[in-house]
Amino acid sequence: MPPRIDAKTCTRCGRCVEVCPLDVLRMVDGAPAAVYAGECWHCGACAMECPSGALRVELPLHMHPVVRRVKP
Amino acid sequence: MNTQRIETDVLVIGGGLGGCMAAMAAARRGARVTVMEKSHVDRSGAAGSGNDHFWHWNPEIHPGRGWTVEKMVRDISWDGPYGALSGGAIDQQLTEVVASESYARVKDLESIGVNFRFDKIYPWNLQYEAHPGENRFRIIPQFQSEWDTLNYEGRDIKPKLAAELRRLGATILNRYMATRILCHVGAASGAVGVNQRTGDAVVVVAPSVVLASGMDLSRLYRSPSGDWFNSQRPPMITGDGEAMALRAGAEVFIRPPWRTRSIGLQHFKGLYRSSGAATTSYPAGRIVNAEGDTIIEHPASREPMRVRREALERSVAEGKTPIYLDMTRAPEEEIAYAEWSYGHEGLCWVMLEAMRDLGVDFRKDRLELEVEETGRLMGGRLGVWISPETETSLPGLYAASPVQPAGEVSAPIPVVLGYRAGDRAAANAEGKTPSVDEAEIEAELHRIAAPLECTEGSDWREMNIALNDATEDLKRLFCGFNPPPAKDAVGKQGLQTVRERLATLRKTPIVAADPHELIRALEVLNLIEVADTITEAALDPRVTEPEAWFLGKRSSGATVFRSTPITYKYPKEVG
Ligand SMILES: Cc1cc2nc3c(=O)[nH]c(=O)nc-3n(C[C@H](O)[C@H](O)[C@H](O)COP(=O)(O)OP(=O)(O)OC[C@H]3O[C@@H](n4cnc5c(N)ncnc54)[C@H](O)[C@@H]3O)c2cc1C
Ligand code: SF4
Ligand code: SF4
Repeated sequence: MPPRIDAKTCTRCGRCVEVCPLDVLRMVDGAPAAVYAGECWHCGACAMECPSGALRVELPLHMHPVVRRVKP
Repeated sequence: MNTQRIETDVLVIGGGLGGCMAAMAAARRGARVTVMEKSHVDRSGAAGSGNDHFWHWNPEIHPGRGWTVEKMVRDISWDGPYGALSGGAIDQQLTEVVASESYARVKDLESIGVNFRFDKIYPWNLQYEAHPGENRFRIIPQFQSEWDTLNYEGRDIKPKLAAELRRLGATILNRYMATRILCHVGAASGAVGVNQRTGDAVVVVAPSVVLASGMDLSRLYRSPSGDWFNSQRPPMITGDGEAMALRAGAEVFIRPPWRTRSIGLQHFKGLYRSSGAATTSYPAGRIVNAEGDTIIEHPASREPMRVRREALERSVAEGKTPIYLDMTRAPEEEIAYAEWSYGHEGLCWVMLEAMRDLGVDFRKDRLELEVEETGRLMGGRLGVWISPETETSLPGLYAASPVQPAGEVSAPIPVVLGYRAGDRAAANAEGKTPSVDEAEIEAELHRIAAPLECTEGSDWREMNIALNDATEDLKRLFCGFNPPPAKDAVGKQGLQTVRERLATLRKTPIVAADPHELIRALEVLNLIEVADTITEAALDPRVTEPEAWFLGKRSSGATVFRSTPITYKYPKEVG
């Protein structure tokens, strides 16, 4: 699952594109886009570097932790 | 291909932890330094999203506790929890270097603003007296028999190192994948690289080259998760250094595939974040079985591996599975401490964020762990063979990672060896002007441009899947030899067939639609080369000789292997 970018808060600074270690993100028409979404490591570097908190990394289904709730 | 040429004193290939330390050391010696980095130094490599622990030997704390460097090396080779795993397959001289210089490197990291000391330490940290007015380290137990691991705030260790390199005036070539170490008149003379965004090439001419491209062979074997990119190990560290070292004729260490001899727990079910399931959960995490019985008091504790393994085996045999990481009974203060660590550990900050989104809470939920059964097939690997001075067999080429085993593969090794390599490389470069072989450069530029020019062939994914089919067979065939050493004719024929399949892949044209795919394609070609060398080594009966290193080196197209006894400065004490 590619990172979710909030177009309203994104300032299009390009920092996430600059740092993404897997080269998943590119600027497309002046805005960041997950062009190679299938190669995301879900490392969070893009979200850590985003100065406006516009970007969230969500884990795809197969990476969800499997849990057992033992306390209410 | 647009090609730019740069001259420098020290070229560092890979700007991860090891590469940044190398560049720092070389720049401190006054050398002109260039770092070629496949991603972007600010967030590249295994530590790109952070690190939260660092084992070390502390000259201010450990001697008073009777813990010497010698004891540490013995512990890592034989006696301690890690020794039980390594079984002595450790280069003790390198391990001794790492232990001896680890504290100096911690201080270097502190000097650039990485926070290792705190005004508050907790009852579960090592209690010790600091100098008056000085904050203390948060020290926890890990894989050694002594409390030696620093919990620290390493989430931004990479951007801080990168800022220091810029301050020191290093030239940083981000997004350039090194593809060939240049070699002329018997010495390293630079490297060729290609940019993942533009497809432009660069030729860096340098009398000293430091290899620091990381220890991982991602995508060489099939991913257990079914997704190459859901992995603890960085998916873009794909044996480039190993393949380049082979092509440059530097000697490498080879470990053939092997079978695990015990049951294990490595990571969460679904989520490949191994430290999150171990050290990082300290002190709140316990391993419990399906009935909630604690089977391992703490996943990173100093309980002997054997005791932990037996406890786990018992629960599995009794059908008390799944097995979980459980913090639900820990006091809030311990859980908060663990969450602080998760916030700094690589890949785990994202995990915390995702847990919040999914409504998962360490206080209420047990997280299931993947039980890895006995007899799992593990892939082989390569590392560059270095001296304690980090020299490779090729003059002018130094290496920090990948190298032969010097303890558990973790940050202290590349941090210490990287610094050493940068220092030695700068000394070597003094007064030297390298010469390059223009024909070698031309040939390499031609090779790396080919996938972009190719119109019919396989793309990197197709090639990578076919490679994984072959490497899975390599593991099965090699470990199927019973008993080793390999004398089994069927297995041998199978391994030869694997080599033939790899040779077919090498002959198959690989296509890349754009520079991004070009990098993935060149990575797969490197992996095929590494796989072929491991397979060739697997066919040599000496590869399974006990207490020996198995080494290989390319020389005029053929690989020459040798086996050399492991020499121990600190042999196992009997009795
Ligand atoms: C998620 C995670 C958490 C970890 N946490 C800890 C921890 O808390 N404590 C600990 O001790 N260890 C930890 N480790 C291990 C530690 O981070 C690594 O051992 C260490 O970062 C490796 O450093 P390195 O320099 O060898 O390689 P890396 O840091 O991986 O650097 C290799 C660099 O080389 C670049 N590169 C690769 N190929 C090329 C090429 N062809 N051309 C140019 N550049 C190239 C890569 O992009 C990368 O930047 C963790 C590892 C991971 C993955
Ligand atoms: S999570 Fe990591 S790999 Fe994925 S887009 Fe962000 S920076 Fe790139
Ligand atoms: S870093 Fe944040 S603000 Fe900048 S382009 Fe990326 S998402 Fe937008």
